[in-house]
Amino acid sequence: MSNALVIAKADDSRGELIQLVSFNLDQEEYGVDVLKVREIIRMPTVTRVPNTPHYVDGVINLRGKVIPIISMRKKFGLMEVENDKQTRIMVMDVDGELMGFIVDAVSEVIRISGSEIQPSPAVVATGIDQECIAGVINQAERLLVLLDLEKMFSNDEKRLFGAM
Amino acid sequence: MPPIDCEDQELLEGFLAETTELLEKLDDDLVALEKSSGDDDLLNRIFRSIHTVKGASSFLGFDLLVKVTHKTEDVLNRLRKGELNVTPEIMDVVLEATDLVKVLVNDIKAGELQEREVDGTIAKLLPLLSESVVVQPVEAPASDVAPEPAAQADVSPGAVSEPAPKQESAPVPVAKPAAEVAPPKKSAPPPKPADGKGEDLSDNSTVRVDVKRLDDLMNQVGELVLERNRMIQINQNLQQGDINKPDFNEEFGKLTKRMNFVTSELQMQVLKMRMLPVEKVFKKFPRIVRSIARDLGKEVDLQVFGEETELDRSVVDEIGDPLIHLIRNAMDHGLETPDERVAAGKPRVGSLVLSAVHEGNQIIISIKDDGRGIDTDRVGRKAVEKGLISEEQLAAMSQRELFDLIFLPGFSTKEKASDLSGRGVGMDVVKTNIKKLNGLIEIKSERGCGSEFILRLPLTLAIIQSLLVEAEGEVYSIPLSSVLETLRVDQRQFHIIGGQEVLKLRDMVLPLVRLEKVFNIARRYERDDFCYVVVVGAADKRMGLVVTRLVGQQEVAIKSLGNYLAKIPGIAGSTILGDGCVALIVDPVGLIEVNEGSAGR
Repeated sequence: MSNALVIAKADDSRGELIQLVSFNLDQEEYGVDVLKVREIIRMPTVTRVPNTPHYVDGVINLRGKVIPIISMRKKFGLMEVENDKQTRIMVMDVDGELMGFIVDAVSEVIRISGSEIQPSPAVVATGIDQECIAGVINQAERLLVLLDLEKMFSNDEKRLFGAM
Repeated sequence: MPPIDCEDQELLEGFLAETTELLEKLDDDLVALEKSSGDDDLLNRIFRSIHTVKGASSFLGFDLLVKVTHKTEDVLNRLRKGELNVTPEIMDVVLEATDLVKVLVNDIKAGELQEREVDGTIAKLLPLLSESVVVQPVEAPASDVAPEPAAQADVSPGAVSEPAPKQESAPVPVAKPAAEVAPPKKSAPPPKPADGKGEDLSDNSTVRVDVKRLDDLMNQVGELVLERNRMIQINQNLQQGDINKPDFNEEFGKLTKRMNFVTSELQMQVLKMRMLPVEKVFKKFPRIVRSIARDLGKEVDLQVFGEETELDRSVVDEIGDPLIHLIRNAMDHGLETPDERVAAGKPRVGSLVLSAVHEGNQIIISIKDDGRGIDTDRVGRKAVEKGLISEEQLAAMSQRELFDLIFLPGFSTKEKASDLSGRGVGMDVVKTNIKKLNGLIEIKSERGCGSEFILRLPLTLAIIQSLLVEAEGEVYSIPLSSVLETLRVDQRQFHIIGGQEVLKLRDMVLPLVRLEKVFNIARRYERDDFCYVVVVGAADKRMGLVVTRLVGQQEVAIKSLGNYLAKIPGIAGSTILGDGCVALIVDPVGLIEVNEGSAGR
């Protein structure tokens, strides 16, 4: 991926404009609020951290700061794949802490208006927890799942991080 | 009340910084004064401090502060001239006044002037200014004095060489409060000292650094800049092909050495700047000891050693509370009442020794009393009674394990909780705080002879010496402070006792923990007969960590793993190695506990 991010213009007559970073995960396309994304990096060496939940891949050195790395595929119960040239880590701000999320590929920044976001259907086929899905964006050519990272980890899970 | 309207913010800040410093010193001096009442230098210093505070506050227009300091100054002046003798009663009042001053200064610092009740304290000071007290020591200062004598005393000071300043300044302000105070009903709530209240005064958000140290630092930075230029130059030469390979190697080698030297110097300098003498914490203890001793009706002689020992400010900030708990504990549980002491054939006055000393990369703080010591039978019984341990567990316990019982949350030998102790919280707090600092606590105690609590703390929390080890391809860092020795052993020498691998090491049986097992590391090498054992120790507990290979010793900067991964057992943090990879720092104390926990089950 040449990292050339295409800005897709959307009809901005309705509601406020939201910018989303879209990324791919197992055939599906997801979006997160651009303001939550600090940076997008290629895979560095990840140091494994023992006795953590299975979806914590480990920690990396992000310019002198040590941040945890979460595998989105493992977290969402998707099939694991080898990392390739497209694999990226999205460094995001979750509850004031930096965290890296491994995704298959990052595609673009899109603009949508708030009114385009529809509530997610009652059953979503992927193994993703309903909690962190803030809605879906149904455009002519594509279907985007909007994620809310703050709800990514339930309180139980947050406690689990420590208690494992 | 309106916020302080002070034209010159800088002036105000200067005043606060200076006053805070003076007041901190003052407490210490006052308590010292009580012990050596004949010390004129000391008395003069105290007098000067109060005087400075008074002067500055009157200049800035803090009337309440002026009022209180002025009266205190008058009393001190009389002490200075020998018209009054230093008695505990007088000191009580003076200390109360200093506390009040602190409260007022804190108000100013908070930016909100509040209407504080100061007359009560002033009323207690006033009788000390009247003539009559000179002859008879004050019994109940505030109660039997009418405004009359107080006012008179100031107008006509009878002493031989009364200096002019007092006559000028005293009469006006005195007359008024004295008149108001007439009925001595005001036993106004004195501001409570100790217990962290006074701590608020010391502001640690700004640093005062010796100019010399700053100059040194600048020098080092200058050198670093030179080395950087040199590096750029070498790189340029290499790019342009102006330099051949052997030359480059030599140049680069030299540069590396110098860089290494300069950065380690720089590191030392910065570390030094973060260092504070432990005195910062110690100096409030005489005061606390005094007030606890008076509350408990015990006589205590506090001796402090090594207050010049320096340690990192982050550590200094954290050890205050645990130390207060330990001191309180020693005074409440350890030391006996004077009568009991005499009956036991000990000197009437109990001794409490607080000392700090450097030992390698650690600072060792000890609190020692010559009281009754820890009654292990009673401790054990209590722990069973409270359901903290079972009878069987108790029976199997060693002396040291019995001592450790007092750290259990909820443990107390007191039947009833008092103001001071008995809730079973204090020692738990001590343990948790010390652990947070990566420190260790050790107890030595002998029945009837006293106990000693020894704290071992790292000098700094930021950079540690560590031993890098490799377990099946993964590199871990073990703090060198807890490494006792390393051995290369044949795995066939391991024995298994009850499912636990052990190693016979001289006269000791060492329990072993395989790092790859506790950390679930996938096996990647062929099983080798030889491996390395890193013997780690916490207090008197020893354990051997089995690793594949020793990598070497390195100074590492500790990086936090963030909130989400903060509480992984056996992992204390992480660090970044020379190649930019992250290595985890092993927490030997945690590992020992985990191991004990699993062995117990």
